Amino acid sequence: MTATAEGVFGLAQAEREAALLPALTELTEHHRATCEPYDRILGSLGYAHGAEFGTVEEVPWLPVRMFKHHVLKSVPDDEVFKVLTSSGTTGAEVSRIYLDKQAAGDQPRYLGRTLQAVLGEKRLPMLMVDTIGIIKNRRSFSARGAGVLGMANFGRQHVYALDEDDKPDVEAIKGFLAKHGSEPFLIFGFTFMVWQYLYEVAREHELDLSNGILIHSGGWKKLIDRAVDNAEFRRAFAADTGLTRIHNYYGMVEQLGTVFVEGPSGNSLYCPDFADVVIRDPETWAEQPVGVPGVIEVVSTVPRSYPGHALLTEDLGVVHGVDDGDWPGKRFSVLGRLPRAEARGCSDTFSGGAA
Amino acid sequence: MFGHLQRRSGVSPIQQRFPAGPDVEVADLLAAVTAEPEGGRLKVGDPRIVDFIVKFARKLLAPATARRFPELASLGFFLRRGEITKALAGLETTGDELRFPRGLVFHVPPANVDTIFVYSWALSALAGNPNVVRISARSAGAAETVIACLNEALAEADPIVAQTQRMVTYGRDEAVTSALSAACDLRVIWGGDRSVAEIRKSPIAPHARDLTFPDRASFAAISVDGWANATPEQRRDAATGFYNDSYWFDQAACSSPRTLFWVGDEAAAQVGRTEFLALLGEVVAAKHFVVEPAMAVQKRVSAYGVAAEGHATAIHFNGNAVATLELSDPADVPREWLGVGTFPQATLTGLDEFVRIAERKDQTFSHFGFQREELVEFAHALAGRGIDRIVPFGSALSFAAVWDGYDLLSEFSRLTTVTG
Repeated sequence: MTATAEGVFGLAQAEREAALLPALTELTEHHRATCEPYDRILGSLGYAHGAEFGTVEEVPWLPVRMFKHHVLKSVPDDEVFKVLTSSGTTGAEVSRIYLDKQAAGDQPRYLGRTLQAVLGEKRLPMLMVDTIGIIKNRRSFSARGAGVLGMANFGRQHVYALDEDDKPDVEAIKGFLAKHGSEPFLIFGFTFMVWQYLYEVAREHELDLSNGILIHSGGWKKLIDRAVDNAEFRRAFAADTGLTRIHNYYGMVEQLGTVFVEGPSGNSLYCPDFADVVIRDPETWAEQPVGVPGVIEVVSTVPRSYPGHALLTEDLGVVHGVDDGDWPGKRFSVLGRLPRAEARGCSDTFSGGAA
Repeated sequence: MFGHLQRRSGVSPIQQRFPAGPDVEVADLLAAVTAEPEGGRLKVGDPRIVDFIVKFARKLLAPATARRFPELASLGFFLRRGEITKALAGLETTGDELRFPRGLVFHVPPANVDTIFVYSWALSALAGNPNVVRISARSAGAAETVIACLNEALAEADPIVAQTQRMVTYGRDEAVTSALSAACDLRVIWGGDRSVAEIRKSPIAPHARDLTFPDRASFAAISVDGWANATPEQRRDAATGFYNDSYWFDQAACSSPRTLFWVGDEAAAQVGRTEFLALLGEVVAAKHFVVEPAMAVQKRVSAYGVAAEGHATAIHFNGNAVATLELSDPADVPREWLGVGTFPQATLTGLDEFVRIAERKDQTFSHFGFQREELVEFAHALAGRGIDRIVPFGSALSFAAVWDGYDLLSEFSRLTTVTG
């Protein structure tokens, strides 16, 4: 039952870069021509119009936080179809990502093609490890809600594993498994919720999840206290519930449509063919060698309505290997967040005090 | 974050840092501080306070402490007996005027500059006031050492010091802030615009006043001619002074210079800039200044942002430690913090060009290579509309008893007139 790499996990690193470089160069020019602030940034950094880049690493990147402070869009105002905003757990700052009709259609298409690699063509019965409330209450519509709603398209006959009070709904889960548990089914949720509300419940009630395919994301921060990392997560699910087809993924609203997916054997994320990662040395900003951690830059040819094709994230990561894993290209892990920069200024009595 | 605190009678308990003691209720604290002291109330320049502060200053200047926290050595020097005597001499009155303490002073210093609260408190104590200083729960390092030194110095002090001088920590509890605000005669708010706005939600008595230290912007300027005529040693000292001014406190103190102006001929300024930046790079390397990755990213976010808005034509990074931006127009000078070691640059034909862009918000103008007369003329042209301090490179962060345009000892005292 190994997932196939057909579709978007097919390009070896050299082929991938050869394909990405002209596309990224074209995108850089496109965004310079259509997004004046972006053009000013590149101009001030000394990039000439029509600049050629020798490698993906050389393509100029923007810090992802730029989208929190500036309007960076490559479509005219009257063609803005949708504005996405990021979660921003700190509340104050949110990214604003501008999409035109074309971009709004592209994103689910790219996401769909990527997830097909692990889900297959058919839409599967889907267990959502969340509460229906998260999408029902439109007024407090959160990034979590958007994630759940976006992912719901990839399954059918959805059952929610939590009731509206955020309590595990054991009967609902048992009902879902009784109906669909003997054939392949899809499970989706945020990593900490999947652990807390599905793993723990499934172990207690000895539920059989062996036909499931789990897609999860959101990071490990909330699980550190429980000493659960990716390896322990996979081990525990396999040992106690029979669930072995587990795919973590990494993505962000600033590059929606592009997700980096954990391969079948686990513990490495892979880049779809239209994307790549560059792990940068935070001192020189050059690409780190394999095995040396650095700051993650995500590269994708999807963003066309805003200059988000090369973004420096605020996450730390490491490339484990190139063309040597389940799928071709770089395989990498996310190691955590960069700590926030905090200055010792005079002007601060209240900043951060509410955190 | 403070939800775990036990509430009694609806008001958070106050943690007593100096003098160290058990938690108290705000009402009890205020009653104790304002009670009639044995041995009589404090006077302006009261010897009981002066002696205590001098002993405290000696502890700050102890070699181990001063080595660990150089900013505490600066503080210790500021509070030596000679300096105190000089400052108090300025308060002497003649004729019909008599000077007295202002009353109960409530200080709200910033969380991250570890020494401001001491300057603010010490000057007010020297003026003879009882003081309550709110110390941030986030204070660390130098602030902890300051509190330890204060508590040590207390052993030999007159009991009036412990009774009237209090440094406390409490959570985000408006009830405590409101009680202290309502009781004080003068409230001193540091920490920028947001702090001022936040604290001002708590009313003060009709007769009371606020002394506020809002967000400020500060600048540096080098005379193109002065640079050309400077010796290699003077140039090196300038780079070192500029380094201290800007990198200490992560270039985020209100008096840290951000934009560097070159004043004079444009072509000569370009030569000077290259020489100066090379020297600055050497100083930064010699000091082993480390920019954390998050700060390095912050600098790029800020610098790219200035460019995105059309205010910078070029950005250069010399490693993570030094970033320079060429401003499109000196009038576009950014006044916000851009991250440590980020220097917008522009050339001005003369100091009068700065006069046209100066704003009320502008505080410190640190200079190199100018004649005193030029600077005095510059100050007259500014005419108090902006810029409160014009100081040489290396002195931007030196605290003075005149700050943000206020003579603090005067603010901390009041005058009674007697006409016979």
